[in-house]
Amino acid sequence: MENDLQAIVTQTAAILTSVSSRADWEQAKATILGPNGNLTQVAKSIGKLAKEDRPAFGQALNRAKKSVESLFQASLESIEVQADLASLGEKADPSLPPVPSHLGGTHPLTNVRRKVVSIFRKIGFTVAEATEVETEWFCFDALNTPEDHPARDEQDTLFFPKNSKWANIAQKAKEAHVLRTHTSSVQIRTLFKEKPPLRVIAPGRCFRRDTVDATHSANFHQTEGLYVDKNVTVKDLKAVLDYFLKELFGDKLETRLRPSFFPFTEPSFEVDLKAPNLGKLSNKWIEIMGCGMVDPEVLKLVNLDPEEWTGFAFGLGIERVAMILHGIDDIRHFYQNDQRFLSQFSNAT
Amino acid sequence: MKISLDWLRDYIELPDNPDELIDVLPMLGIEVEESEEQSSRNLDHVVVGEILSKEPHPEADRLSVCSVEVGKEEPVNIVCGATNFKPGDRVPVALPGAKLPGGFKIKKSKLRGVPSEGMMCSAKELEIGTDDQGLCILPDNPKVGTPIEQFYSEDKVLELEITANRGDCLSYLGVAREISAYYQKEFSTPKISDLGEQHQECPDGYFLKSVSIEGQDCSRYGVWSIQGVTIAPSPDWLKSRLESVGLRPINNVVDITNFVLLETGQPLHAFDAAKIKGETIQIRQAKENESITTLDDVKRKLDPSMMVIADADKPLVIAGIMGSVDAEVDTSTTNLVLESAWFRPGSIRHTARKLGLHTDSSQRFSRDVDPQGLEYAAQRAIDLILEIAGGQCLPKYVCIGNAPREERKIEITQAYAEKICGFDIQPDQLSSAWKRLGFSVTGNNPWQVIIPSFRSEVERPIDLVEEFLRIHGTKELQNNPVVCPSTSRENDGTYEVCQKATDNLVGQGFQEACNYSLRSAEELNSWHPSFEAINLALLNPLTSDHTHVRASLLPGLVDNLAHNQKNLNDLTRIFETGRIFRSGPRGNVEWVSIAFASFAEPNSRQWKNHSKLDFFGIKNQFLSVLHAMGLALPKGNWENLTGLAPWQNDYSAKIGDCHRNKLEASVGILDLQLTKKKEAKGPIFAAEILIDPILLSKRKKAVSFTRFSSFPPAIKDLALVVKRDTPAESVRSDLEKIAISVGGNQFEVDPVTIFDLFQGQGMDEGTKSVACSMRFRAPDRTLSEKEVNQAFDTILKKIDQDTPYELRK
Repeated sequence: MENDLQAIVTQTAAILTSVSSRADWEQAKATILGPNGNLTQVAKSIGKLAKEDRPAFGQALNRAKKSVESLFQASLESIEVQADLASLGEKADPSLPPVPSHLGGTHPLTNVRRKVVSIFRKIGFTVAEATEVETEWFCFDALNTPEDHPARDEQDTLFFPKNSKWANIAQKAKEAHVLRTHTSSVQIRTLFKEKPPLRVIAPGRCFRRDTVDATHSANFHQTEGLYVDKNVTVKDLKAVLDYFLKELFGDKLETRLRPSFFPFTEPSFEVDLKAPNLGKLSNKWIEIMGCGMVDPEVLKLVNLDPEEWTGFAFGLGIERVAMILHGIDDIRHFYQNDQRFLSQFSNAT
Repeated sequence: MKISLDWLRDYIELPDNPDELIDVLPMLGIEVEESEEQSSRNLDHVVVGEILSKEPHPEADRLSVCSVEVGKEEPVNIVCGATNFKPGDRVPVALPGAKLPGGFKIKKSKLRGVPSEGMMCSAKELEIGTDDQGLCILPDNPKVGTPIEQFYSEDKVLELEITANRGDCLSYLGVAREISAYYQKEFSTPKISDLGEQHQECPDGYFLKSVSIEGQDCSRYGVWSIQGVTIAPSPDWLKSRLESVGLRPINNVVDITNFVLLETGQPLHAFDAAKIKGETIQIRQAKENESITTLDDVKRKLDPSMMVIADADKPLVIAGIMGSVDAEVDTSTTNLVLESAWFRPGSIRHTARKLGLHTDSSQRFSRDVDPQGLEYAAQRAIDLILEIAGGQCLPKYVCIGNAPREERKIEITQAYAEKICGFDIQPDQLSSAWKRLGFSVTGNNPWQVIIPSFRSEVERPIDLVEEFLRIHGTKELQNNPVVCPSTSRENDGTYEVCQKATDNLVGQGFQEACNYSLRSAEELNSWHPSFEAINLALLNPLTSDHTHVRASLLPGLVDNLAHNQKNLNDLTRIFETGRIFRSGPRGNVEWVSIAFASFAEPNSRQWKNHSKLDFFGIKNQFLSVLHAMGLALPKGNWENLTGLAPWQNDYSAKIGDCHRNKLEASVGILDLQLTKKKEAKGPIFAAEILIDPILLSKRKKAVSFTRFSSFPPAIKDLALVVKRDTPAESVRSDLEKIAISVGGNQFEVDPVTIFDLFQGQGMDEGTKSVACSMRFRAPDRTLSEKEVNQAFDTILKKIDQDTPYELRK
């Protein structure tokens, strides 16, 4: 009898070597431990034994049962490990590319805009926005550029028909709606809505009635800046712009204010810069932005007392900065959206 | 404005190296656009020669054979075709080795058998003038053998860009004045004869009986009468002055008026007195349907918004812009009427724009000429006319109206200048800057500064600060720290929300694009037939493909996908954020939009299979963006977009309404025909979010914490048989509502989820099965099986009573 038990343990070990799935395993378990299994059959024979032999057989049976069960347990664990591994599929060749592959990225104009905004954020300028559709009054008159002002000729403006109605763009009177020619109109909208002291930066899209070519675009982007407070001076203007331009183009930068004219600032300047790291444009004066002290007339138009408040404003072309920074020679690249262009800047900072 | 430096030297001494001006003028506010070099002419080997003899050519009637002294040992023999010379004349001679403009090389040669050792030249052949009628006879007997270069030194022409406020700089004298202020050197104004006697009425014996102004747009009008002039070509010096800045010489009188316009900035007009009908000049508005044929031979229709100078019959000049052929000065003219006037700048600008006719004259009038400078310019022209064209000027002139601007006095303090500038200024720095500009300064802090009438734009103390800075410069403003207090303002919500969307979409593998806001009518009509494209049309578009503002970012994104597909670029996921325009019940609106689009598969073959993008993929991308933007789905249900361009029927849906909810979103496949028309191959999955900026103007409240149970849940699943067209979401939400109502205060119900959908075999036609899973939890204990079963039974009963759904058995 004891030999029978030993044979069953050996038999179990033998069967389990060829078991590779859970189903095989269940079947093998039934063959040994099931109601008609070999071990069960042997166990049943206990009744045929002499009473005095029973305890010894019982012990042997228990030992055999434990051995068999532990064989089955080990086998099951091994089957599960194999199944888990099989579920992982083919081994990975890490040199292969991912499928599908989408890197994603930002547009170079967004990169420049974000950089500009983040530099100004450090010195307390926050973003203001207004609509791209404006009215003549906010775009020109409020910026000290009345109808018969010569500066109004220079900006070829896209108009909407006189009777066009815009539900969320407030007019001053009954003036026509236009596509804004500059972000300077955000100055006016902001000064009406909020009270100084105020420091805002207003990036946004602008429009001119220009023929598209390598340097002109039907729409383009500017960033306006405005600082109104008590005792803001030309010295502050220069300090802020120097800080900004050095952050943007690097420390080895020279700047100068060149007298110019904008109807809404007085005095007005163009800002020129000279830097050693700008490729073909290195080491020569290049025009980068316009600026000036907010004209007292503009302050009066938004109901601020120019005796109490002074301020400065500036405007910068985003495309121009991107072109200078990256050596891009044709503004149309920004609007063609060819991946071979975009991917060059999609993770640029 | 073109400025010839040779000409400019008539008024002011220029630096030895005139290129210096290219750096100096911009720092005074005058941009030098480009430095236009004159022709690349080369006058080497061209010298002064004296013609000693002139004999007929033995073989050719039209040629002559000359002996010419050129400063060498022997005179040279030259065959010549010109006839306008005689022995003793001195002319430019190109000797062998010379290379004339156009590349013509001079060599020793034979002409019809006679040797020729050079060429006698016309002005045109050497590009030292325009005269091509015969040899250039040199005046004043220059020394034989002298290189011609010495008499025709190369002029340099600068293109100046004068800002809109500085009309006074649209003249040689204006520019000279600025240079004089910079270098602190005197500049000289040409001397003029004494002005005649001014009259308000036309005196006896005058060419005119009356001069009158109607309307508001002409403030001063002066006329002078000159009799007995001889119209002829201008002398060379005058021609070359005009030619140097690109003007075509016409005749002596017209050239003089143009010369004085450029010199002084005051446009003048010369009439042929004989052509003024009725001896009358009226400055009036044009009449309805009046027309005029201007000197450029274009017939132009006028309207009453335009001012004209008319005689008794008809308009002779569009005031301040251009004269007509009817009163033109020509060779038959002997008596002149010369006009010098001040017109309101806005009026001239308006007319020039309306007619599309911009002239040297209109440019200056519309930038405000010096109302006190009329007489000076007129007298300067008269002096030149009498000198060049002869005749005499009647001693009386007529000038009516009043100068709209005179000298004015501005009072300013040092404290004010320092308050604007932000740095210490010495009192004499201020006063000397103003004096250098020709302002007269009296007093001392405060100063009284007298601004001459030619400076139209200097009117306030702030303008004087600008003038000070222009002269003083801002060089000392270097390396100053940024000093400003902290602020408590946040970025605008519209900006922030777009940044969040951008970051999320980039993270989801989308590339940002940037498309034009201006689109074509055709695109708008086919992509948005639901509203009238005319509402979004521009009044004055420049090109036919840029006639409307965009109603959506999607067409641009489809263009981008198609472009990259065509170029085999691996770019299949693209997005844009920006402003879009829609027409609505209360007029047009401008909204913020975030849109993204994607092909289902990459543009190139891949080494491995992968699952294609489907509706639920793009829906998930959309929900992810919306979540990142911090926005909740608008209230309401997803509605199928059927028959609504640009979306494909049955594969797209919309939620919210931006007019009502301030937020809406559409997700799905774009209309296959529309995307095919843009040459995109394969369906394009897209999502579009529209936001009324007002939604983002409020600051969001802080989220307050909700407790949740820490006990394990009890799970109950069930499947409901519903009509096939019932949205699965309504089944789910109905079940959720019932479960929550049954749970009451006893226990919480987690959001009910759909885990299976089935239709087909074993189900009735027109039905489907929606299987949902419910999880119950009590806040304070593990739920007993009994109470869960009780609740489940109640739920089943309620479904049976309250809904059309049946339990699937």
